Amino acid sequence: MSRLPSSDLTEATAHAAVYLRRLRREQLRLALLSLVAFGGAIGALPLILYLLPGLQDMQLLGVPVPIWLVVVPPFPLFLAIGLLEQRRADGLDEAFRELVEEE
Amino acid sequence: MTLSILAIIGVTGAALGIGTYGVRLARTTSDLFVASRAVSPWWNAAAVSGEYLSAASFLGVAGLMLKFGASALWLPIGFTAGYLTLLLFVAAPLRRFGSYTIPDFAEARLPARYMRLLAAGIVLLISGCYLVPQLKGAGVTLRAVTGAPYWVGVAIVAVIVALNVVLGGMRGVTYVQAFQYWVKVFAIAIPAILLLIHVGGLPAQAALFGNELPSTGPNGMVVELDRPRTLTFPDTGETRVVPAGQLRLPPNTAVPVAAGIEAQTGDEWSRPVSESGRGSPLLIYSLLLATFLGTMGLPHILVRFYTNPDGSAARRTTVRVLGLLGAFYLFPAVYGLLGRAYTAELYVTGDTDSVVLLVPAATWPGLGGEILAAIVAAGAFAAFMSTASGLLVSIAGTVSHDVWPGKRRRGRARFRVAAAFGMVVPCLLALATREVDISVLVGWAFALAASTFCPLLLLGVWWPRLTAKAAAAGMLAGAGVATAMIATGLIGDFPEDTALGAILTQPAAVSVPIAFGTMVLLSLRERAPDVGALMTALHVPEHARA
Repeated sequence: MSRLPSSDLTEATAHAAVYLRRLRREQLRLALLSLVAFGGAIGALPLILYLLPGLQDMQLLGVPVPIWLVVVPPFPLFLAIGLLEQRRADGLDEAFRELVEEE
Repeated sequence: MTLSILAIIGVTGAALGIGTYGVRLARTTSDLFVASRAVSPWWNAAAVSGEYLSAASFLGVAGLMLKFGASALWLPIGFTAGYLTLLLFVAAPLRRFGSYTIPDFAEARLPARYMRLLAAGIVLLISGCYLVPQLKGAGVTLRAVTGAPYWVGVAIVAVIVALNVVLGGMRGVTYVQAFQYWVKVFAIAIPAILLLIHVGGLPAQAALFGNELPSTGPNGMVVELDRPRTLTFPDTGETRVVPAGQLRLPPNTAVPVAAGIEAQTGDEWSRPVSESGRGSPLLIYSLLLATFLGTMGLPHILVRFYTNPDGSAARRTTVRVLGLLGAFYLFPAVYGLLGRAYTAELYVTGDTDSVVLLVPAATWPGLGGEILAAIVAAGAFAAFMSTASGLLVSIAGTVSHDVWPGKRRRGRARFRVAAAFGMVVPCLLALATREVDISVLVGWAFALAASTFCPLLLLGVWWPRLTAKAAAAGMLAGAGVATAMIATGLIGDFPEDTALGAILTQPAAVSVPIAFGTMVLLSLRERAPDVGALMTALHVPEHARA
């Protein structure tokens, strides 16, 4: 017994809606996780420098360590988190496409 | 000086040349608004970075560092963090939605005519507030470098930028801005590295990191004052008005400081975090939050995501931007450090914003320093021009597409007229406010961006239940609170290095939660809207849409 085309369509749409919601949630979770990762690291930096004022007396190439810590490491960190997130987010999109094409 | 004039002519001429080349590429309406969505990630990333690194980054970070100390070094972190958050939450969905402008997005996502007009009004306000300081910066810089009258610099940048945008639109401007990014990175990095090699390490360690104040040196110091200044002399503690003209300071005394600057020992100056004042953790968090949230809502940056071919390319572009910005932000600190050692007279004049321009010649007297000074002057002009171009594209796009409705096929003509007139008002304002400190405008623009577009985008993209009424109310509430707080700060004249003063100049920490809260609470009181198709448009990858 063949199904009516209309029910087929409804079913496909319902599936697609579920997949889409799942994709949106996964992307949001990934984004929030990355936000917590870099927010935690950058948010901790002022506190670390505040709690360890003695770092100021340590010098690297004639410049106090806290200045190095503020000027250099945050930027590679941003780039690394961005790169990881971009790969993972594209991967989630790809998985969604495969799922939809299987239908 | 002649070299600097040549360098500035070179960089403005190149901008005009590349722009003229871009004109041939700008044929359709889509070219003008969104570069036909065909800009490859590397070009686009360089263009976005070129657009974002304004006078505030090129001159401002080092200037603030010289003036207030190493706590200014948190600024670039906040700017870049805003970009990372755009990548995480906004880049791909915004591109996939496929609008022309931010007001376009607002009305399509939240179907109500008033959303478009409200968003358009805020775009124009933010872009205008940001454009005037770029033009002023050009006038001041040209005067400082070549002695030309103030209006010449304003007019040069205004005319070249307007020509490029009117003729080339987004398509032409993209190539100019990408070129200008590389000019800026070269112009800040090469002189910094060569100057450090030339001096062989940092001198005057005691005034930089130790317990001494900047000194007038063994030969004393002669400072030209173009107008009377109220100076505080740290050695005696006296404060008095010094008339315009030549001020001779005796050898080996502490350098006096202009009003608004505090004499700091090297140790106080060089701490990114300190017990009190601008370096206190509370003020640093407030600064980070304000710059970070503000960056997320800047309309001229957001409109750039539309120029990518698809959502995935938008992500790749943003990752590259993070790398390009990071490379640039390694260098302003070098000018802050060298400036404290070699251009301490800026503490007397109070013109700390010109430290980047003056450090090369002061550090390396002679031809070498002159060449490097010419290079940084060219970089500063690239900064004014690229940011101004992005703002003008954003203004022209919004006026011609959202405010001034008409037949779609007339869009090109409207864009060009809007771009030409869009430059007139900011240009007149820049000429009229020559002697007025308008840095409050930039703070206001950032606060508005943070309290309106940042919540609108985050909730609009990720929360299906957001309604038009709630979004409009939230944006108005956020903008209202931010504006009221900044106005209170202006009228009350609170010192900026206290918690109260800081929060009134950077109100994002208060106004952004209010905007988010209003949007969420009011949306929950309405029936959930049916947004299945809109969520599909935002989140389904292009290649899965067949």
